[in-house]
Amino acid sequence: MWGKGLVTGLKVTWGHFFGKKETVYYPEEKLPMTERFRGGHLMLDVEKCIGCKVCAMNCPNAALKLTVEMDENKKRHMTSYVHDIGRCMYCDLCIEACNFKALKWDQNYESATYFKEDLIYDAVEEAKNRRDGNE
Amino acid sequence: MATTEKFVLNMGPQHPSTHGVLQVQVELDGENIVGAKPVMGYLHRGIEKLMESRTYQQCVPFTDRLDYVSSMNNNLGFCMAVEKLAGIEVPERAQYIRTICCELNRIASHHVFIGSLTNDLGSATGMIYAFRDREKILDLFNIICGARMTCHYIRIGGVIADAQDEFLQKTEEFINYVPEMLDEYDRLFTGNEIFQKRMQGTSIISKEDALRFGMSGPNIRASGWDYDIRKIDKYGIYGKLDFDIPVGKTGDNWDRYIIRLQEIVESAKIIRQCLDNMPEGPFMAKVPKMLKPPKGDAYHRVENTRGELGFYIVSDGTNKPYRVHIRRPSFINLQALDHMCKGMVLADAVTAFATIDPLMGEVDC
Ligand code: SF4
Ligand code: SF4
Repeated sequence: MWGKGLVTGLKVTWGHFFGKKETVYYPEEKLPMTERFRGGHLMLDVEKCIGCKVCAMNCPNAALKLTVEMDENKKRHMTSYVHDIGRCMYCDLCIEACNFKALKWDQNYESATYFKEDLIYDAVEEAKNRRDGNE
Repeated sequence: MATTEKFVLNMGPQHPSTHGVLQVQVELDGENIVGAKPVMGYLHRGIEKLMESRTYQQCVPFTDRLDYVSSMNNNLGFCMAVEKLAGIEVPERAQYIRTICCELNRIASHHVFIGSLTNDLGSATGMIYAFRDREKILDLFNIICGARMTCHYIRIGGVIADAQDEFLQKTEEFINYVPEMLDEYDRLFTGNEIFQKRMQGTSIISKEDALRFGMSGPNIRASGWDYDIRKIDKYGIYGKLDFDIPVGKTGDNWDRYIIRLQEIVESAKIIRQCLDNMPEGPFMAKVPKMLKPPKGDAYHRVENTRGELGFYIVSDGTNKPYRVHIRRPSFINLQALDHMCKGMVLADAVTAFATIDPLMGEVDC
């Protein structure tokens, strides 16, 4: 009979209308991120980093701009670690390239900003703020 | 006496029913279509050229951005071409994980097809159902590689990380859910009379025409050709697996829809076999960090969700490819649009467009 399929379809939608909901009330409610989730800012461990710049060399999009200074003992120090999220593909190649495991994602997925400039940040500065904040 | 003139209507690049930035110049005689000319290039990023200045490993994330709805298959195509070029053996376990991911991605991509097709036919509700189920697969990808769409998980020599038990277990749960999911789609869309009326017998591509246009993937199979690279080339572990190729009869919009539903069943069958026979072992071959394939060229093709995806790579012995060419199935399938639209009414152009299922990231490259 013509129209039988339509009624069956409506039954499906009505079933869901009274069924359990599939969505969450974002932003009040947030879904947990997985362990391997790639996204957000890069968290640099200044203690581990030796300033070799391998991470920046492995970046396919030149999203990383690092400045390294040498002190009197010929030891390298990372003075700034500028990451431009606008250029970043979240490909993970920088993190995988680091032999000292000095990088990881902070897993914050709310990285949209009003201004383009806000997409650029310095990971060394953020590391400092984190440390000062914890003390 | 009143005279009539032909009228050219621009659909897109900003139009709710052209998925992505495609412009279609439709020539109309009243409500009837005389010709439909796709105008592309709005999403051109020059990926082939970009790859020439990146190392082989750095090229892989760019393939994600071709067909971003089935990025795993793109990763696979490029990586297999490089492996062929450099003579890298991929461990068995990696091959199984790759196959699971690719087939999951195929299902997710068909979800997008079903969702956007129903949306284009005027049922916005339908889209929500397909996308709800696609979400389940994207969550699986989030577990295994930390990304949902641009996965960059399959790498040259294997996969970047092992599949966790959580992933395998949740994949199994999803596979168990597939029959229930398809049953709901059948009750919601397939049995719907309006849906059938709009699709059956419209935009027919005959067997000969499908070949003439060089189509591939579900579109050529809907026209009656038993053409699937997974069966023909038996790349990876597909030779060991037992699955069928659904083939259509008339090549109308309806067949192109039904084929996709049947492919979901076959993909689920493949994933089930992979889960059951998954061997233990390494997930990555030993690949030098500075990969320099010997001088020469290689072509490798895989069955992407939308058809035959091929990568042609020329190496000059350095760590960067000398030239990469990508055979993109959507680009070639789209050539049939004009043929499909001729003689139909304007509303059918949208259906025709949806059932070719082109992806602009891939068309423009
Ligand atoms: S994730 Fe990729 S694109 Fe982003 S900074 Fe790291 S290497 Fe560069
Ligand atoms: S983060 Fe790692 S790769 Fe980058 S400069 Fe520091 S030590 Fe080197």
